[in-house]
Amino acid sequence: MKNPDAIVIGAGVVGAACALELAQAGLQVIVLDRGAIASGTTGAGEGNILVSDKEVGPELVLALRSRDKWFEISEALGGSFELEAKGGMVVAKTSSGLAELDKLVGRQRVSGVIAQNLDGRDLHDLEPYLAPEFESGTLYPQDAQCQPMMATAQMLKEARSLGARIEVGAQVIAIGSDSQGVASVSTEKETFHSRVVINATGTWAGEIAVLAGSHLPISPRRGFILVTHPAPNIVRHKVYDADYVANVASGAADLQSSAVVESTRSGTILVGASRERVEFDSTLNVNILRVLATQAIALFPVLAKVQLLRAYHGFRPYAPDHLPVIGEDAHVKGLWHSAGHEGAGIGLAPASAEIIVAQILGKNPFMDASAFSPQRFAVAR
Amino acid sequence: MITVIGGGPAGMRAALTAANSGARVLLLESGPRLGGQYWRHLPEEGAEAWTGQTALQSDYLAGFLLRNQVLSNPKIESVCDAQIWSTTKNDASITVNFLHDGISHSFETQILILATGAFDRTLPFPGWDIPGVMTPGGAQALLKGSNVHAGKKIVVAGTGPFLLPVASGLAKAGADIVGLYEAQRLRKWISYSGVAILNLRKIAQGANYLRQLRQGRGFAVISAHAGEDGLLKYVRVAKIDTHFRIKKGSETNIQCDAAAIGWGFTPNLSIVASLGLQQIPGQDGFPVVAVDELQRTSDPRIFAAGEITGVGGAELSLSEGMIAGQSAADFLGKVSRSATLSKNKSISRRRSRQRKFANTLMRIYSVQDGWRTWLGDDTNICRCEEVSLQTLKASIHELGVTNIRSAKLLTRVGMGACQGRICSRSAVEIIAAEQKLKATVEEHISAGNRPIFSPITLGQLAQQPIAYDAL
Repeated sequence: MKNPDAIVIGAGVVGAACALELAQAGLQVIVLDRGAIASGTTGAGEGNILVSDKEVGPELVLALRSRDKWFEISEALGGSFELEAKGGMVVAKTSSGLAELDKLVGRQRVSGVIAQNLDGRDLHDLEPYLAPEFESGTLYPQDAQCQPMMATAQMLKEARSLGARIEVGAQVIAIGSDSQGVASVSTEKETFHSRVVINATGTWAGEIAVLAGSHLPISPRRGFILVTHPAPNIVRHKVYDADYVANVASGAADLQSSAVVESTRSGTILVGASRERVEFDSTLNVNILRVLATQAIALFPVLAKVQLLRAYHGFRPYAPDHLPVIGEDAHVKGLWHSAGHEGAGIGLAPASAEIIVAQILGKNPFMDASAFSPQRFAVAR
Repeated sequence: MITVIGGGPAGMRAALTAANSGARVLLLESGPRLGGQYWRHLPEEGAEAWTGQTALQSDYLAGFLLRNQVLSNPKIESVCDAQIWSTTKNDASITVNFLHDGISHSFETQILILATGAFDRTLPFPGWDIPGVMTPGGAQALLKGSNVHAGKKIVVAGTGPFLLPVASGLAKAGADIVGLYEAQRLRKWISYSGVAILNLRKIAQGANYLRQLRQGRGFAVISAHAGEDGLLKYVRVAKIDTHFRIKKGSETNIQCDAAAIGWGFTPNLSIVASLGLQQIPGQDGFPVVAVDELQRTSDPRIFAAGEITGVGGAELSLSEGMIAGQSAADFLGKVSRSATLSKNKSISRRRSRQRKFANTLMRIYSVQDGWRTWLGDDTNICRCEEVSLQTLKASIHELGVTNIRSAKLLTRVGMGACQGRICSRSAVEIIAAEQKLKATVEEHISAGNRPIFSPITLGQLAQQPIAYDAL
């Protein structure tokens, strides 16, 4: 397959979703990744499929659609990866935090988000180990979690069964184009010819854009995650402080952190989510781990006695306006981007793939995706 | 101030040498007392307690004397039960974070000597997760606990010169050694004697091993089996060829209550990896920390000695520790590199002779690929997360796993309580072999990346650490 209908660069969750959507549409697809499958940001993800943390707007529309698509994909693939609508719970201590939360919930409901107000009693019935000073909150039953690496692998496996070819350890070294736009993609071993190239390289999408003669302002936003020894039944939902929403929306380079605490099926508890812009700095920052631990204990005091098993970090693909970049490149015809999903790439991958494949096939996507268009980063030449 | 991590032969010798050269030293040891795994059984104090145990190890006396010198040196502060859980560094200093008495401490140092040693290398085989199957190091650790072994039937197996002292130690403690099986046939020993002769003490020990192992050369424990109580009942022993493949028809069952099985050692490189120090392939292809002739790592402030530079035993560790301690002290005192080198000339020569010998031993006792043929599809490769060979194979052939990282993420191999310390070396080899590749040093390095080294509760992590006030 030297002349596929489409080349997807990146075998993370976003690339896998694109490959599956393309293969299901009957296109011959090649997926290239310089590493192993799901070895970039996907492999560092918690598997968040969230609607609760989205402000009203195009990203929320995308998130709601994507969330439903995840359950469709899971069913189509025979439940071959963990996916659970465990529900998100936003909790607040103070009445001012609550007031802000209430306003957000009101706006979200109009857009189709299901949200249930919780008083102190509901809250502590649903999360018995939550610190007593939390007095109110909101339950978002649509919030879900998947095992993102397995979801990626299973989508790629399905795509392969539909004729797609997956090449890992294949670093793209050149992207050729002619007067009609993009024409070829070369790895060290092979050159593939196609008029459709999808850049699904997440945090590294800027490098691929440059190879193709364009540009994309995606930069890394580092996050640490703590993983504890198994401690079943302490945390039942995905629980986070109302401050989290403000942090997600912040663009500041310095550290923001508000703990997001949840348990996984294997019983371990995950604590995220720090956000800082420090380029691709891979060194351990003990202070951040300390902040995360402190905040997790503030939510669930019993976690103080639970042992840390490991800690790791990942690099979220961050666009200056916090919106994903989905659509055709502003300068190079035939180069498509699905990247820059920041911390929401797992959740947003399926609907992003749906949009991009509709656009490639000249169809109307399910929503007005102009807010995601790479055109917003066009530069005068 | 120089900080030494690890209180085994290399660490103690490094600390003492640095202190004798005028440096102040903080020596951190994770165990309850100095000595490391090699001198694990040095008693707390008093000569009368250990004289009876000299048969366990011929050089107990040396360990005892070295430890006393370290403990009585006013320039050395040693902290045992120091659980180092992370290390970080920047241009100004290196930070060691450790728990001691349940309190979180952090200590900033300008110069660090790493002597973190090695742990037993295990190979998976059917039944290796049955209670009663352990490593020789594990069996040796249990020795300390009075008479728990009296009358127990124990099989000692695997490969390496460590098996015999373990077997004789267990026998002394009252255990009935029902089998001692060295996987190598050891004919190669003779042809390497040209090298071996350079080290008379070792060859004397070697001759001993040969005499006692004649019956059990070229045999391996290929499976373990539990009785109705779930505990070990017997092991299956087979003759193996030079590639470690089972010779059909040679299998026999040996009844036993415990089996101590070890395949040499794996250097403990967690701190090396977390500090981003250069690692290179060792004699057996597994990574070791790269050091120059001054025992200096790729970071000029950090020195390394002992098993982490390549497994080589206590004597080599002592030589390396001495050079590392001298180099670190000279670095602190701004002594020139050439002055340090010339000071260390004779010890350097001893070190290279010992290294040559260690490498020869490692070649003789090398583990061959045939061990993989002992596995069943249902054999767990990862004991913590119960990941079977079949699961691992399926992830490679069906899900597109190509390396240890993707295998971890898709099968949870190496993701459990031990964080892959026990299984990831074998998993890396299986993943490569299934793709008809040789395991690369990069893969082993990737598998050893584990920024949190030892257990810490979230409560301890949340504490603002107390700056350790040394000396």
